[in-house]
Amino acid sequence: MGLRFRFCLVFLFVLVVSVVGVSLPCFGVGSSDAFSAISDADGRVVVCYRAVADAERAGANVSSLLEVLNEASWLLSRAKLAYSQGDFDSAVVYANECRFMLDGFVDEADGLRRSAEAAAHWDFMVNFVGSAVGAICVVVCGYALWVFLKRREK
Amino acid sequence: MKEYGLLYWVAVGVIALLVASPFLSRVLVYPRTEFFTELWILDADHRAENYPFNVTRNQSYTIYLSVGNRLGYCAYYLVQVKFRNQTQTAPTSFGPIESRLPSGLPSLFNMTVFVADEQVLEIPITFSFNYTWDEQFSKVKLSSLRLNGVELNMSNCILSWDADEKAFRGFLFFELWLYNSSVNSFNYHGRFVGLWFNMTVTV
Repeated sequence: MGLRFRFCLVFLFVLVVSVVGVSLPCFGVGSSDAFSAISDADGRVVVCYRAVADAERAGANVSSLLEVLNEASWLLSRAKLAYSQGDFDSAVVYANECRFMLDGFVDEADGLRRSAEAAAHWDFMVNFVGSAVGAICVVVCGYALWVFLKRREK
Repeated sequence: MKEYGLLYWVAVGVIALLVASPFLSRVLVYPRTEFFTELWILDADHRAENYPFNVTRNQSYTIYLSVGNRLGYCAYYLVQVKFRNQTQTAPTSFGPIESRLPSGLPSLFNMTVFVADEQVLEIPITFSFNYTWDEQFSKVKLSSLRLNGVELNMSNCILSWDADEKAFRGFLFFELWLYNSSVNSFNYHGRFVGLWFNMTVTV
């Protein structure tokens, strides 16, 4: 009787350990996983922000990029709130959604920045250099014509 | 030739100015000297008239929080949503804006927003309060704030009866923080807006 009881006890212990061991990863994520996911998403948001700021500084229209970034940051805010409330599953889901939303974002911002830089260079050459040189040419040509007309009159 | 000289040089000058106008429009522009952020709240009709004051339990209200960026660059802001009663600390409102301090209360929710230079971002805020009235001690105990679909815990907040105003008054406010890329963190930007509410109870 005692031997059977011990056997049952050991069997039950092994069963509980194996069930808990298998099911824990399926049922939820730990705080460290959630923290890591949020940190990744946070870092990506900052990288994207810097890319947008560079594009804007170059003169690009970044309004469509900012819409995406604002949506992603809302998801990140939800992730942080879920984390603070101990809801690590939701925190990971929101953080991952945020990261997925920002896939390819930096490339797009860099593309806009390059286009804006090319347009700004062209604009500078035409409207700044071209305009100043053109005005000087008008004055010089006007003077040359004036001298020519005076000599012809003599 | 001499009698047309003045006319000729005036014509040359006008043409030269016309050609130089794109150049001059850039050179003669007065540079921006003031860099700041605007923060304001409007009511549900986009006016500054009918802000909600007497609120009912679990009733939804809408306001619009707007952030105007005049900093000269695309800004990354953090809006901290806080709530206080009459005795809890408020953010400082006086003195130079750079030396103002935020409220020491914990933030209920943090919203991060990005605003391009010279742009205004309008954030619709829909909220409702859940609270209970302790008739015996004449207090209102808040349990949660539902803000844009997010449930926020307010279980530590209690409002006492304000005999002067004859109301259970609470202040919902939004503090603005600005991301500083050199230190990779947010600093308080010296600005907040908020609304006082009277939590109505049925006797």
